[in-house]
Amino acid sequence: MKRSPILGAYAVAYLLFLYGPILILPLFAFNDSRIVAFPLSGFTTQWFGEMWADANLRKALGNSLIIALSTATISTALGIFAARSSVRYRWPGKAVVMGMIMVPLVLPEMIVAMALLVVLLTIGVPLSIFTIILGHVLICMPFAVAILTSAFQSLDKSLEEAALDLGETQISTFQLIVLPLVMPGILSAFLITFTISIDEFIIANFLGKGDPILSVYIFGQFRFPAKVPSMLALGTLLVLFSICMLAIAEYFRRRGIAKTGGKDSGGFL
Amino acid sequence: MTSEKPTMIEMRDVHKYYGDYHALRGINGTIRAGEFFSLLGPSGCGKTTLLRTIAGFEDISGGMIMIDGKNMAGVPANVRPTNMVFQSYAIFPHLTVAQNVGFGLRRDPRPKAEKQREVDEALEMVGLKGYGNRAAHALSGGQRQRVALARALILKPKVLLLDEPLSALDKKMREQMQMELIKLQRQVGITFILVTHDQEEALVMSDRIAVMFEGGIAQLADPETLYRRPNSRQVADFIGTMNFMPAKIVAETGDLVEVDSQGFGHVTLQGSQCMGTPGSNGSSIGFRPETLTILFENQQAVDRESMATVEEVVYYGDMTYYDVRIDGMTSPVRISMRNVFGRPVLDIGNRARVAWSPGALVLFR
Ligand SMILES: Nc1ncnc2c1ncn2[C@@H]1O[C@H](COP(=O)(O)OP(=O)(O)O)[C@@H](O)[C@H]1O
Ligand SMILES: [Mg+2]
Repeated sequence: MKRSPILGAYAVAYLLFLYGPILILPLFAFNDSRIVAFPLSGFTTQWFGEMWADANLRKALGNSLIIALSTATISTALGIFAARSSVRYRWPGKAVVMGMIMVPLVLPEMIVAMALLVVLLTIGVPLSIFTIILGHVLICMPFAVAILTSAFQSLDKSLEEAALDLGETQISTFQLIVLPLVMPGILSAFLITFTISIDEFIIANFLGKGDPILSVYIFGQFRFPAKVPSMLALGTLLVLFSICMLAIAEYFRRRGIAKTGGKDSGGFL
Repeated sequence: MTSEKPTMIEMRDVHKYYGDYHALRGINGTIRAGEFFSLLGPSGCGKTTLLRTIAGFEDISGGMIMIDGKNMAGVPANVRPTNMVFQSYAIFPHLTVAQNVGFGLRRDPRPKAEKQREVDEALEMVGLKGYGNRAAHALSGGQRQRVALARALILKPKVLLLDEPLSALDKKMREQMQMELIKLQRQVGITFILVTHDQEEALVMSDRIAVMFEGGIAQLADPETLYRRPNSRQVADFIGTMNFMPAKIVAETGDLVEVDSQGFGHVTLQGSQCMGTPGSNGSSIGFRPETLTILFENQQAVDRESMATVEEVVYYGDMTYYDVRIDGMTSPVRISMRNVFGRPVLDIGNRARVAWSPGALVLFR
């Protein structure tokens, strides 16, 4: 069957529109000019050096790493409990509870951020990095639970029964059989929630006390034209970092599928 | 025929409910030590459920299961003297073949080398010598099953439970594994309980068979008794093929029952040939296709002889199935005949002499 050339052109235009701007990022990050405009004027790594020299930026990066690591750890751990119990056990109100966990996926983040802010202020919780983590866990949980649910679902129940049958206890069976087999899912949930948290802006902006946070800081720096090139350098690094994280997550997900001999039912990449 | 062996498993009025669903409805029966026992029945009759209650994966809702003289109430699966070969084989995909087989020895305090030797022996026993270092997820179906067997047998359980272990294999492989399983069972002497929906498989492999329908055991007997003396039409229908003809009981004197039946006329049957509650009506007689013989040329009937008309011929190479209508019968009956070189196969419409024997009839009432 012959496809219309219009479809091909549409696909190319779509991809260009989507990824073109991201390609511009490294282009100007290495461009030897403070003004972000064509034509390019030469190659430099000056902006990367300038970026690293910025003490506030280093502080923001540190804070963001703390937030992202905590968020990823907490939401993955909570996700394990939720996914396991939703896949393996029956309890009253399960559908409602699991639905509620997934709701932040479709709620505007703005609403989540405002609602959280109002509640936190009302009950008198001081804003801090901790409150940002709280908000991030909320929006990361749906992703963690979705990934982990599919990991636990692909686990054959008789594997656990076989381990019990061969003399192991419930706890050792979980350690020896369940954990290793869902580990790819756990890693992939961890990496994806980490990635979501590290560049999240709205909640970080609303629920922070003013400590520098990477996304908020970058946004602020864009007001000063002189700072833009070094922010582009930072952006380049972040893009690279995100690609690495997603690739690693996908690698583990696929390896998990290959190992358990299951069928690939789609993923993030 | 097996001599009387000591009891290994005793089931007394075992009930199991899944919510409102009554999956096991009063199971009674005894499984003897060292026998090859099968649970046979159509899909959904509760075979797996019964096996899982013996293994300890399901609690029973009523009754009692004793294994080797001990009541199993409240005894979890990991301390019961049973091991299971799962229908899906449940091979641990992240471990090697040897790690799978040796899994049950993890808590065994003996030195590593000794356990390793046992793993090697178990692998050799199931024909997987030298496969120890292979990744388990890369095995074929037949090999997985052997790993599952070795893994379960290495713990030397008192009872090995097998849930439809051969149903995923193709016909050739299945027949080969049937023979291997029989040999293996004789070699290790462990009580095997096999779940299957394949009556042929059960007949071939088992010392005794429990035929199950709808959560209950319909008949528990050795294969020959099940085949020759099924205790109900349902069992007779499920195991092999049986012809049924309406019949009327005319007289009962002591152990003898006199029956009037279509085509066969007046016959006298022994009490052992009569199934069902004495005294009830609605009788029929049943007989297997191979208990009738078509007589050729000057062959003589050993017992009785009737005339019949051939209505259908199905040629199978080594066998021919004839549907014949014996004079006086309102419907045809099936006869299976082994083909003999040089003897003609009859045609539809031919008249034939049919030899039969009252001793091969079973009365259901
Ligand atoms: N965990 C369960 N929950 C509810 N019903 C079940 C469960 N397991 C089995 N059943 C039901 O019990 C009946 C017997 O099942 P099973 O023992 O698996 O049959 P078989 O192995 O003979 O095919 C079936 O009707 C099945 O649907
Ligand atoms: Mg079953």
